[in-house]
Amino acid sequence: MIIRNVFMKTLYDKRWFVFGWTLGLMALTALMVTFYPAMHQDGSLEQLTKSMPPAFQGLVGNLDNLSRFSTYLASQLFDIRMQIIAGVMAIILALSISISEEENGQLRSLTALPISRTAIVVQKWLAMVVILSVTVLGTMVGILLFQTMINESIDLGELARLIFMTWILLIALGSLTFAAAMASGIRSVALSVGILVLAVSFIVTTFSVGVDWLKDFESFSIFYFFPAVDIVKEGIQLRDVSVLIGISVVSLVVTLIFFRRRDIR
Amino acid sequence: MKKTKTIIELKNVTKKFGTFTAIEDVSFSVEKGEIIGFVGVNGAGKTTTINAMLGFSVPTRGTISLFGERVVPSNAHLSHRHIGYAAGDMELPLHLTGQQYIDFVMSQFKGDHTDRLEALLKQFSPQLEKKIKTLSRGNKQKIALVAAFMTSPAIVVLDEPTSGLDPIMQDAFLELIRSEQKNGVTIFMSSHYLQEVAEVCTRVLLMKNGRIVEDLSAERLQRASGKLVRVVSKKAVIPPPHAKQATTTDNEHGVTTEFSYDGPIPQLQVWLAGLKSVTDLSVGDRTLEAEFRSLYDEGVEVK
Repeated sequence: MIIRNVFMKTLYDKRWFVFGWTLGLMALTALMVTFYPAMHQDGSLEQLTKSMPPAFQGLVGNLDNLSRFSTYLASQLFDIRMQIIAGVMAIILALSISISEEENGQLRSLTALPISRTAIVVQKWLAMVVILSVTVLGTMVGILLFQTMINESIDLGELARLIFMTWILLIALGSLTFAAAMASGIRSVALSVGILVLAVSFIVTTFSVGVDWLKDFESFSIFYFFPAVDIVKEGIQLRDVSVLIGISVVSLVVTLIFFRRRDIR
Repeated sequence: MKKTKTIIELKNVTKKFGTFTAIEDVSFSVEKGEIIGFVGVNGAGKTTTINAMLGFSVPTRGTISLFGERVVPSNAHLSHRHIGYAAGDMELPLHLTGQQYIDFVMSQFKGDHTDRLEALLKQFSPQLEKKIKTLSRGNKQKIALVAAFMTSPAIVVLDEPTSGLDPIMQDAFLELIRSEQKNGVTIFMSSHYLQEVAEVCTRVLLMKNGRIVEDLSAERLQRASGKLVRVVSKKAVIPPPHAKQATTTDNEHGVTTEFSYDGPIPQLQVWLAGLKSVTDLSVGDRTLEAEFRSLYDEGVEVK
């Protein structure tokens, strides 16, 4: 196989990463889908949920969502679990195609060739987007495959909306980490940015249900722009899409500005 | 690419990392067809200079021009179309095979270089079918050298290119440099191996503490002119005129006086004949290393 550009090279380098994570996310999907019959209930727990303190309700989630397969998946898979697990994947991927290559000297070898720094950034970023697409599509395929085992069927439109939002959320997380890595060339900076965004988002989103003063800071969580259950029930909000795509675009621009003028190790 | 005689030019280039000054006020120019040996001890600033020259890093001060065009990181790729680069510590893509890497590099350049590639593969015989991560350092280096020369670049920049090669491959490398010289290729090569520098380079830049301290013809190094004189006597002796780097040490055998001598031989003979109480004496040719050390110790900055 002839590899002609940085885009192809990055995809080739990461082929086992794609394979492993796609299988992993499919396995997670399979587990969550097969749990549905056991979790499914018809609203009898509603009273119990409402008797809980608000903070505890926030941690458990709205049990009403368990009555439909699509809202069950939205609340139990796409809300938090997928965001965190796939988010970690996006951060690892962003680090491995940027700072890891710089630390082991391969980035310097690339920049010694007649490839512009802009091309290196754009092609690596595009490869990251493609890899995230494949893993997210793997999740989609997993749901479609495993739902037949429990005789359920999700509305394709609802599933497509969830998958699309997961995709742009992961691109935003990956782009932020990629930007920090390529702009600074320092692993600790890149790792801090990725982990900080993920950790702050997790804390703010899970605790803002019960902690009143945190509500004012909900929009500081990147997950705020991916309300999975609302996406199933009401559709995608333009604001959410704009913010997530905006984060990716701004990150890419920042990467280009800084990477084009900094030292390569 | 502008058609200029001077194809590499550094003017007052300084590179600082925080408070540490890696290179300071480095200026030199290289003309087409020159084979430059870039010599200095570890940490002298050779790699920092090469990194700035190729646009891997941004100089804190000063300007760099390649082919008459000013180089900054964002436009360095334009000059890289005419530059081959290999380094002793160069890390190639680990997940690719040698062949995939060669194809990848080839894809970045215009034109058909198949014949040239075949000739280089015959000369260096690198292992191309295995993944690069499984190869020895020497084999990786062979691949890096083939990749650096295969597109017939106008300049080849080499940073410690032979440090992992066996003696046979070092000879093949020197042979390649000689043939490239005949083709008018400009080569800028940093090296610890003074013998190889003296054998193939037309000019030597000596770097010390981040500065260019000598800019001399390779002939001077190659000549390694003069003698190394060692005298053991009961009393200390005063070295003759033209003696350099004289050292005196006391031990149980007497006083050992050592110095380099590049004056007239008859004068040395007269001086030797006048010595008294000598218990041991040796007069030999100065090695290239001794010449290098002498230049390095003098450390006169080139203006």
